[in-house]
Amino acid sequence: MTPPLRPLRWAVAAMASAAGLVLMAWASAAPLRYQPAGVARLRLSWTARPERIEVCRSASDEELERAEEHMRQRVVCDGRFATYALRVEADGRLLSESIVRGAGLRNDRPVYLLRDFDVTSGVHRVRVSFTRRERTDTVATNAAPSGRTGADTGLFAGRAEREADERRRRARGAIPARLVLDTTLTFAPGRVLVVTFDGDRRALEVLDGRAPSR
Amino acid sequence: MRLLERAARRALTVLDATATRLYGWTWNPVHQTGTVAAAMLLVLLATGLYLVLYYRVGSPAASVAAIAADPWVGSWMRTLHRYASDLFVVAALLHAFRMFAQSRSWGPRSLAWVSGLFLFGLGVICAWTGFVMAWDSFGERLGREGARLLDVLPVFSEPLSRIFAGDRPVPSAFFFVNLFVHIAVPLAMGVALWLHVSRVARPVLLPPKPLLWSIIGALTAASVILPAPLGAPANAFTLAPTTPTDVFVAWWLPLSERFAPGGVWVVALIAMVIGVMVPRVARKPREGALAPSVVDPRLCTGCNQCPQDCPWDAITMVKREDDRPALVARVDPERCVSCGICAGSCAPMGVGPPGRTGRDQLATVRSALEIAGVDGLPIVAICCEQAPAGQVAELRLRGAYVHPVSCVGNLHSSVIELFVRNGAPGVIVFGCPPRDCVSREGPKWLYERVFNDREAELQPRVDRRRVRIATLAPGDGGASIAALGAFVHDLAAMERPDRESDAALDMVCDSVSGEEAES
Repeated sequence: MTPPLRPLRWAVAAMASAAGLVLMAWASAAPLRYQPAGVARLRLSWTARPERIEVCRSASDEELERAEEHMRQRVVCDGRFATYALRVEADGRLLSESIVRGAGLRNDRPVYLLRDFDVTSGVHRVRVSFTRRERTDTVATNAAPSGRTGADTGLFAGRAEREADERRRRARGAIPARLVLDTTLTFAPGRVLVVTFDGDRRALEVLDGRAPSR
Repeated sequence: MRLLERAARRALTVLDATATRLYGWTWNPVHQTGTVAAAMLLVLLATGLYLVLYYRVGSPAASVAAIAADPWVGSWMRTLHRYASDLFVVAALLHAFRMFAQSRSWGPRSLAWVSGLFLFGLGVICAWTGFVMAWDSFGERLGREGARLLDVLPVFSEPLSRIFAGDRPVPSAFFFVNLFVHIAVPLAMGVALWLHVSRVARPVLLPPKPLLWSIIGALTAASVILPAPLGAPANAFTLAPTTPTDVFVAWWLPLSERFAPGGVWVVALIAMVIGVMVPRVARKPREGALAPSVVDPRLCTGCNQCPQDCPWDAITMVKREDDRPALVARVDPERCVSCGICAGSCAPMGVGPPGRTGRDQLATVRSALEIAGVDGLPIVAICCEQAPAGQVAELRLRGAYVHPVSCVGNLHSSVIELFVRNGAPGVIVFGCPPRDCVSREGPKWLYERVFNDREAELQPRVDRRRVRIATLAPGDGGASIAALGAFVHDLAAMERPDRESDAALDMVCDSVSGEEAES
């Protein structure tokens, strides 16, 4: 049932197969265009906790009495997480202006920021500002009342103090109310400069990849 | 949809014919697209097992570069892994196109169609993660795009895209998860493959050995001669103007990058819905030529042959409802594709699609002979209806009396005998190439019934020299004409048979009246 292939047909079939394989090898690694040539990129990328803006007060003895023992919290705070205004300029030209909120439906997760801006290669004056939008001069932010901790007794002794410590620690870890980077950067063609938030210095800094990321 | 199907059918015929002209129908890879895709999965598994031994999630780019730099094994093994994935994509797409064009995407084949789509999708995901593993510029590009698309889904608390921002090293956990997905997805593909072939009997998963080893050999040679280049190591601080992109796996990438992730998801979802809806849109009424087989319990002897021959496992033997001791065949219409192979397998002609049972075939032949006249009947060429009309016309021009059948597997051997008894000097049956039979096993069962005494066999009284089986493939018209010529030549040395009465056939094949059956 099997018709034999004649030598000429074999040769043609072999050549067609070889051509197909060469085509496949080329298409397997075709040099497709990815990024525009000659441009550079400014990337803003950081993760940080937004500031918690709270109004705190001391609960009265009556209020504490009404609450279950495990719910007795001397300092009661209400509040929300701060939002930030991001403004990016290059050589005085506005590249972007936006409002940044913490992630999550209640915006109580950290701020995850990632923005890319294509710029022409060369030297540019770059200004990045990240400013809290909420004013706090009218509210007693993180105002943990001192004293009266003596009311915390039993299992929960010292709770108010611990909570105050926790609030202070959170405040220290949060994004400062105002972050500004105003500097002159040299963008080489095809390079990316990354502006990120240095949590230790609590300031914006520029990374140019000299320390390889991996 | 019918227009689209017809256009696809025409395109497929051209493709088939071209490949047959090049390779001959026995080596035609277009007939083997499904099995080639499955074979490539095995090649991917074998080469992947080797590669994973040398892959390090802690230093992905360096470890892949080390593999690629090994000229003895690593380089071609990695390239073979890539080329096999490319061929898998091509073969799977051609296979889907073939099934659609041949109207094999609906009804009982719906599960195979839908599971095939998922199999293909999983294959692409697996390839995607595989390229990310290499962590060169192309891997980074795919990784970034994947992260961008995933970030719009409410799944991850921190956007994945930030992993690649450059303000911190890409964590090893990312590469570990990527490797895990790359290895886990093939397991899901195994399940999908099982589903894909679960509705067919005797699924054929690999091409014929000569073709299989030829393909693997050719891919290996290409891997040695043309090793796949590795892009520059991924670097978040550089903008690669181009990437060595695998267009088989990532042809959509340049398009996807231009649009918002939400839009990409919508387009992907629409494409998926259209794909899944094909069986519904392409379906045809289950009547006429597509009506499922039926069993005449009066004729069924319970021989158990039709369940063995059915390529779709659509027939089972069940207890009879009357007082006869044997079992009776039952056709599941949900699984029957109306191929009619059961009609060819049933000696007493008690099963088959309406109008195509053995008895119906004999009746059709008798009517045809009455119309054509039986004196001086020429060589009879029984041709599958799927055969190219032009090539069938060529046979007619060369003096053959052409008798069409829906599939040569549907042909009852008594039809051949009837032609010979009516004075035909010989009967040549032209089937489709065995791996291109829309009924899957038509040519195989025909050959067994005619020459190897498989049940519903051609009776010994028929001179086998007067019967021949040949193949009629698009693009290989010369071979079919040559086969006919050779048959004519061989028959010339024989005397023309006398026309006999078909009383004996009538005795066997007359329908049984109700009273007779009851008695």
